[in-house]
Amino acid sequence: MKEIFFILVSLFVLGCAMGVIVSRSPIYSAFNLILSFFGVAVIFLLLGSPFLAAIQVLIYTGAIVVLFVFVVMLLNLSHTSSPLSGQSALSIFFSTVAVWFFSLIVLKVMNSILLPMSQGLTSLAPVNPEGGAGEIQKISLALFGEYLWPFEILSLFLLVLIVGIYALARPHTVWPKKGS
Amino acid sequence: MASLINHFQSFQLLHWLHYVIAVLFALGLVGLLIRRNAIIVLMCIELMLNASNLFLVELSIRDGSTDGIIFAIFILTVAAAEVGVGLGIILNLYRLKKTVNLDIFNLLQG
Repeated sequence: MKEIFFILVSLFVLGCAMGVIVSRSPIYSAFNLILSFFGVAVIFLLLGSPFLAAIQVLIYTGAIVVLFVFVVMLLNLSHTSSPLSGQSALSIFFSTVAVWFFSLIVLKVMNSILLPMSQGLTSLAPVNPEGGAGEIQKISLALFGEYLWPFEILSLFLLVLIVGIYALARPHTVWPKKGS
Repeated sequence: MASLINHFQSFQLLHWLHYVIAVLFALGLVGLLIRRNAIIVLMCIELMLNASNLFLVELSIRDGSTDGIIFAIFILTVAAAEVGVGLGIILNLYRLKKTVNLDIFNLLQG
């Protein structure tokens, strides 16, 4: 039962990711992105890390996509034609096959990343969602214990970021010319 | 090739997650290359970062350690930061050329 639910959620995520790249308008892409982020949060829950699922919903859908929607509304972008609009069915089929082959390459890269540790993707330890690796107690102990330095530097990084974004996006005043 | 066939024969369900991650990453990359709207390009970057987050969390849960999850938290934060800066840049581009179509910005093209 859990497996069927997992397959359905992952197909939903892939369908919404497809919707991001073929949508006619940036707002449709943003809505598809929200749906795919929710699907990924459900996969995080199934894997056994509820903290990251909550953080994903809060930060990704709650802040990042909201920022996207703000900018799209600010720039008042209109509908464009979908990238699928002028294509024949044969070219769409071939591009789907090409994407599938590229994902096999990504899978090979993922496999080779794990090779020094444990013979690749086929010999990983089974997933234990109740194992407690994703529980918030363990994460907070590690985040404020072993990873305290990166955490504090991240807060400094965010401060620098806010100043930088203001410097980028502030209204630029035009000084009047002298003598006129 | 034989290892691939072996892999499919000993199919555990959560190896399906590896395929999902790979296809999600590939979709993000294809969208990055195909779309000409700068904002949608940023959204496809977020898709790719999501795929890598999924992989990190899955490996961390299999291993029983929290290192991958903390790495994923940092990636999440930096992705939010990068979206902020990227949208600031896009706003400035829009002020310059009144469009966000990436084909228009070709000054550096040889």
